[in-house]
Amino acid sequence: MKPETLLTIDVSHGTTHDGPGMRTTVFVKGCPLRCAWCQNPESIPVINGVWWDKTLCIGCGSCKEACPQSAIAFGEKGILIDREKCTSCLSCADACPATAMSAIGKAYDADTLFKELMKDQRYYAEFGGGVTFSGGEPLLQAAFLAPFFERLHSAGITTALDTCGLAPKEALLSLLPHTDYLLYDMKLFENEIHKRFTGQYNDRIKENLLLAASEMRRNGSPKEIWIRTPLIPGATATVENIRAIGKFLKENLDDVVTRWELCAFNAACKSKYDKLERDWAFAACSLMTRRDVTPLRSAAEETFGKEKLIVTGMIKPE
Amino acid sequence: MSEFRLPFIPKFEQSERIKVLEERNAKLGTDGSRQMGTYGDHHCWLDIGPFPRPEEIPSHKEGLKMTAEQWGKDYRFMLENTPPAIYPCETIVGEIYWEMAHFRPAGSGAWRKYPVAEEIAPLVEESERLGASPAAYGHTCPDVEILLNEGFDNLLARVRKSLALYEKLGNARKVSYLKGLEDVALGCIHYIENYAALAEKLASETDDENEKARFEKIALASSNVAHKAPSTFYEAVQTIQYAILFDRAVGHGNGYGRMDLWLQPYYDRDTDAGILTREEARETIAEMYMKLRGQFFSFAGRDENGNDATNEMSYIALEAYDLIGDYNNLGVMWHEDIDPDYYAYACDVLARHGESIPVLVNYDTMYASELRSGIPHEDAWKVVYSGCQWFCIPGKEWCGQDSNLTNLLRPFERAMDKAVEEDVQDFETLYSLYEKEFHATMKAFQAAEGAIDRVRGESQPEMFTSLISHGPIERGMDMDAPRGVDYQYTSLNILGVPNVADSFTALKKLVFEEKRYTLKEVWDACRNDWKDSEVMRQRFLNQPKYGNGEEEPDEMVRRLSETTVEIAEGYYNQRGGQPMRPSLFAFMSHLEGRGSFGATPDGRHAGDQMAHGINPQAGVSKKGLIPMANSACAPDMRHFQGGSIQVDIQPRFFDGKEARYAYIRDFSSAFFKSGGQQINLHILDLKKLEDAMEHPEKPEYRNLVVRVTGYCARFITMSREYQEDFISRMNYASMN
Repeated sequence: MKPETLLTIDVSHGTTHDGPGMRTTVFVKGCPLRCAWCQNPESIPVINGVWWDKTLCIGCGSCKEACPQSAIAFGEKGILIDREKCTSCLSCADACPATAMSAIGKAYDADTLFKELMKDQRYYAEFGGGVTFSGGEPLLQAAFLAPFFERLHSAGITTALDTCGLAPKEALLSLLPHTDYLLYDMKLFENEIHKRFTGQYNDRIKENLLLAASEMRRNGSPKEIWIRTPLIPGATATVENIRAIGKFLKENLDDVVTRWELCAFNAACKSKYDKLERDWAFAACSLMTRRDVTPLRSAAEETFGKEKLIVTGMIKPE
Repeated sequence: MSEFRLPFIPKFEQSERIKVLEERNAKLGTDGSRQMGTYGDHHCWLDIGPFPRPEEIPSHKEGLKMTAEQWGKDYRFMLENTPPAIYPCETIVGEIYWEMAHFRPAGSGAWRKYPVAEEIAPLVEESERLGASPAAYGHTCPDVEILLNEGFDNLLARVRKSLALYEKLGNARKVSYLKGLEDVALGCIHYIENYAALAEKLASETDDENEKARFEKIALASSNVAHKAPSTFYEAVQTIQYAILFDRAVGHGNGYGRMDLWLQPYYDRDTDAGILTREEARETIAEMYMKLRGQFFSFAGRDENGNDATNEMSYIALEAYDLIGDYNNLGVMWHEDIDPDYYAYACDVLARHGESIPVLVNYDTMYASELRSGIPHEDAWKVVYSGCQWFCIPGKEWCGQDSNLTNLLRPFERAMDKAVEEDVQDFETLYSLYEKEFHATMKAFQAAEGAIDRVRGESQPEMFTSLISHGPIERGMDMDAPRGVDYQYTSLNILGVPNVADSFTALKKLVFEEKRYTLKEVWDACRNDWKDSEVMRQRFLNQPKYGNGEEEPDEMVRRLSETTVEIAEGYYNQRGGQPMRPSLFAFMSHLEGRGSFGATPDGRHAGDQMAHGINPQAGVSKKGLIPMANSACAPDMRHFQGGSIQVDIQPRFFDGKEARYAYIRDFSSAFFKSGGQQINLHILDLKKLEDAMEHPEKPEYRNLVVRVTGYCARFITMSREYQEDFISRMNYASMN
């Protein structure tokens, strides 16, 4: 049966880095990977939950009163949520007058989401953009998305799927016929290292990428495949890794990949970990410098070539 | 690291001559010599000290009279006694050192200085108490083409012919007006002749060949255009410079129209004859831009047949700004069929200079708005952008655009008082109480505006503007007097649409639907500025707000703006009984009037600023530029006399992006296709602005130009309050 809603963490209007042109990006909730550097930690659980923003809190205690599980307490640093007791009933978020306590996710039915996305129709047209589904991992909710992609296509809106690649191949195949741009993550090439940093092996990720490539060769959908590699200091940002990915792409996918993006890391999402009351190993990690990035760029150019390579993200001159 | 502005790549090299002129004029603008006032588009006189013989000014000698005849006499006296001056390197000449406000009561409050004030003042006070201030002047647009086609002698002859007719018919009021107009024309002619004479003298005194040629060129042009229509491109630009100078010597700012359309034939003729190059044309226009500053010109748009009107001069006129940068108020009128290369160039100029020049306006909504007001196509197609966010038909429309203000918070406050008193239990009853109160405001405004209308033509005539408009000479009436020109509805600047709409949205939900609070509880809390009611305030503050592209609040803004139009259009002025016509714009009054307003159910505190025109309340637009722009298209802009959005972008938005202009082009095109009216767009680093507030002495801030609302100003010369407001606006490091 087709699920009635899509659980999201955000709908971001006017994005310019999740596919061509100006787009609206829907960040889907739920992810099978546990990347140590994750930029959207709130997107990982497939169920909804609450988080607390101390900068908005007025300390009125409405949340504590509203909680049927008595899971909320005032601690030294502010409000403490007992995650064991919390059942994600969202009563505290409903009670909070200041939106300091809020639901992480929002469920959209297809009509509401479609309407929301069509608001920016004229901007898609002028900029040659469209809608991107990112996450989290959109393929976890493929049953909702497959007919939705089709609906966007019949309305003349181009679609992009930003995926980590770890999903049943049926899920991927169900979306590809109505996917224009497949944005595919290749984080770490070596299987054991992949497991160490993300909690999962990458065999299926590679298989799915090759599958998507053969679909594209066979029937022209997706129209383009973009590979994305986040440059994470101490993890993905090594010459060996970039070289291995570049070589793999060159040997197997040169005819279908239209772009390979190396995206430099930033720690701007630290406040999200604060709101989740979680520590983050990458919190103090500073921006990469040009000197850090240059050898990685060279490694990519040497193995994959220059033309389709781009380096994005914030990079300090020195 | 981002630059203060984006790295600026000039497209045209400045010649040595332009460099000298640029240096001098920039210095005049920042050292206090050029008196621009707080608002850079009205005053522009150069301070050389007080008028030398004030006791000889006619109205000072014979006693002040509220007549256009005496106004004309004073104006002529001022022009005739303005010493001519020709500065190094310039070929476009003319300067003003005084304006009419130095000689006699001027501007929108001029009537207060005359005995009629006794009768008018109580009506104005009542109207202001109810939320509407009827002061009005400026930002119409004369038809400069009349002067270009006819020349001063012909205008003077027409004035004299009309004067003779009304003398014969014994219409004393019209005779008085036309005598004043005759003096205005004579004063202008005299002023230009003074320049011709000085140039001739300087030419005879110099041995330098180049200087002699320069002075002779000026002398020939000025002696020609003092009487006749200009015959060359250079003479035409000098004529436009004189016209703007004479117009602004009154002390107000107007629009000056579609220079690209008028200058193209002169340009074609001169380039065919081999006496003008594109580079010379560009420099001549640049010289004119540098003289007075702040002129509102409009380019592109459509022609009479609905085709794109972009021509070579549209490019050259923008290139002239591109050459010099700095302070100006040029507008490019977009439409779906605009020459794509030209629009790309306009966006490129905007992206490279980052100073919100040109302003991008939607020609099609302006045209539709004019048609909707009953202006026929044969005039409506001529519409021009004429100031901040206004537009009008050159030489045919006087609507009192500037300075008047209607604040919707006043009727809202009264409606809330009544609703609490009557214990209103449903939203629609509250809304109809509001409508009643807005009627009361408009009724008082109509009485006050009507009383001023009856004396406007004598107390604050716009005589030079009238001289080059369609009607005043033959009708013997000033363009701001009844039927002086054909189109005279009253423009209303509306403040507070987002605040009142967001208040309604929150009340509807929390009081009438969820019944969390009673109306009385909320209103008592507002009256106490939310004291001890922070939980309640937070709840109201966090209701859906206009500015996020959300249906509910945007629909409320649409409903409220339509209510405003429907009610306002049912009230009429005393200038031909034409209706009131709202614009969704409020100049700086969102700051200036805020002290007298209590807290509002949108969560705003007492004394906090209000929303700036159709821009969302500061701090409530949280989803980024595109949702904000979608909200701004909620009101049907074809029903209004303008309304602009401010878009302030951080330079780092463009980090790593090529073809920066393309973002501006695509964004604005989508906005206009969605029905948007006007975009004032900056590219500026906020941190540097904050530094400029603390260290205005740093040289890099000297020429820092920002668009405040619809007009430009030098940032360091703005008051601190305005600077802070500018910095507190929404700004975007990315599109989302």
